[in-house]
Amino acid sequence: MKLKHIWIVFNKELKDIVRDKKTLFSSILAPIIIIPILMTIVGGSTQKMTQEMYEDITVALTKNSDTESARNFLNSLAELDENIIVADPVDDPWQAINDKEVKLVIELENGFEEKLKNSEPINLTLIYDNSLARSGGAVGTFQATIDRLNTALAVEKLNALGINPDILSLVNVERQNIARTKDGNQFLMMILPMMIALLVAVGGIPAATDLVAGEKERMTLEPLLTTRSSRMSILIGKYLTINLFSFASVISTLAGMVLAYVINPAALSLGQGEIGGFSVEPLAFVLSLLITLLMGMTFSGIQLAISTYARSFKEGQTYLSLLIFAVMIPAYSTMMIMPNDIQPHMFVLPIMNTISAFKLILGGVVNYAELVMATISSIVYVILALLLAAWMFSKEKFMFRS
Amino acid sequence: MIELFNLSKRFGNLNAVHSLSFTVRKGEIFGLIGENGAGKTTTLRMLATMLSPTSGTAVLSGYDIVKEPEKVRGKVGILFGGESGLYDRLTVAENIRYFGELNDISIDEINERTKMLADTFGMNDFLHKRAGKLSKGMRQKAAFARAIIHNPDILLLDEPTTGLDVSAIREVQNFILEQKRQGKTVLFSSHTMSEIEKLCDRIAIIHKGKLVAIGTIDELRQQNQNLSLEELFVRLVGEEHEA
Repeated sequence: MKLKHIWIVFNKELKDIVRDKKTLFSSILAPIIIIPILMTIVGGSTQKMTQEMYEDITVALTKNSDTESARNFLNSLAELDENIIVADPVDDPWQAINDKEVKLVIELENGFEEKLKNSEPINLTLIYDNSLARSGGAVGTFQATIDRLNTALAVEKLNALGINPDILSLVNVERQNIARTKDGNQFLMMILPMMIALLVAVGGIPAATDLVAGEKERMTLEPLLTTRSSRMSILIGKYLTINLFSFASVISTLAGMVLAYVINPAALSLGQGEIGGFSVEPLAFVLSLLITLLMGMTFSGIQLAISTYARSFKEGQTYLSLLIFAVMIPAYSTMMIMPNDIQPHMFVLPIMNTISAFKLILGGVVNYAELVMATISSIVYVILALLLAAWMFSKEKFMFRS
Repeated sequence: MIELFNLSKRFGNLNAVHSLSFTVRKGEIFGLIGENGAGKTTTLRMLATMLSPTSGTAVLSGYDIVKEPEKVRGKVGILFGGESGLYDRLTVAENIRYFGELNDISIDEINERTKMLADTFGMNDFLHKRAGKLSKGMRQKAAFARAIIHNPDILLLDEPTTGLDVSAIREVQNFILEQKRQGKTVLFSSHTMSEIEKLCDRIAIIHKGKLVAIGTIDELRQQNQNLSLEELFVRLVGEEHEA
């Protein structure tokens, strides 16, 4: 194996792939363009949906319960909560909700005002459509207003009876959120590690398909194998190229995410709250990056081995596309796990170790023993993947499979 | 010079090449004739060190394919198919340079030889154009230059005219004859009898991996009632079939 030959192969492959507009666009440019657009659209629509659940809650009476006292009752609720807007009574609640005329419809029993005056319970039927987020989501806000009304009525009554209304809430709860990171980070902790793992695993696929299976199809591999360069030099040159593309696609995706954040900070958490307040120790961050790079190197080796096995470009594409499932299973199974819930064995399992390391970093929980475990296991996987690729590249039955 | 010593290759239960022994003299054009699956490509792949022999060996320009494959590769240029071995997204010059560099030729020498080959094959107009944008004829010339950039002693050509039109076939044949004039040893496989008759100093007929006959075309015809090469081939291969 000669370094000079590795460098020549790497240089050539790089030049060759950079000139392939399809690969360049799908691996590098598309994430930078598509991710900000996607996140802005999805984040924007999520934000809009959240707003619809809490703001401008249009409420109407059914025609049956439309009386002056009922209208007054609704107006009193609107005074308690400025988000409640009273609309005209409706005939058909389902139609009115689905036509976006109102979000909620109220039916009040006859003589409710007398009952209230006598401090007797009344029945209020809240009609909503749970299949519509704007209607189902508004129930909570409306219910909170009713609770406030109940409390106000109770306070009024107790005052009239000369009883201190404090007895209604003897235990006061004062909430103190001590999370070091902002609300949106939790969402990021679920999505980002999974996304990075998926990208690292698939980023090198276009290059890997082209570099061996593609060469077989174009009949360029045979002349290449008859140069003075050893097979190992050719293999390593190609391996480095796949690695570079895998990392480049991750970097371009992250750049796309940063761009999305710059355009709209809430877009990155898809409207699930603000992001920020990260406090990461530099060494832990470097280790996490290293683990990610090592995962990329492992997948580059596997991709090279699969591409070597394939007889043609198309066959290579088919086999390599299956790799995404190998990543999706561990990625989805760990999506909901939070940093403190990660089990030690997850730091030695492939893919899971990368996801776990990133979750630690994003959660501000640093455990160096676990990060070192993840690093060592990742190095072992890189070596195994490279050995597999080298073995297959040296075998005639794979190289000249027909 | 190429010397084969009981060169054999098995793929599982199949004897693709069985104990081939013959010599191709320096500076001669030697034709390897056989039906599809006769073992021609496997033989050429072993000589080019792409495949390892199951047993036996071969010596090319004094280097053993089993013991010194890297040195053998430095002495051999291959053309498997008429216009193969080109990277479409690289220019002709870049294609040539890549193979030159991987054959440990200095940049100065690569530039010098590229210029010389561009003049020889009339490639100056498209030397800096991407191979994928070229016509078949231009690609063929580029493939020739790519195959001999490192000035190999030996050329291994596997059915280099298959699928080519008449003028392209003539280009290949002229290229082969030019290599002979320059003292190179050429071993090539072909199906086309007229081409064999036109180019080859000597031929070997192989069937099912075994050597059936070897000699000049005239020698073989004299031994077989002056049959035409095609009839001769059918008879020899037919005898093997019957045997």
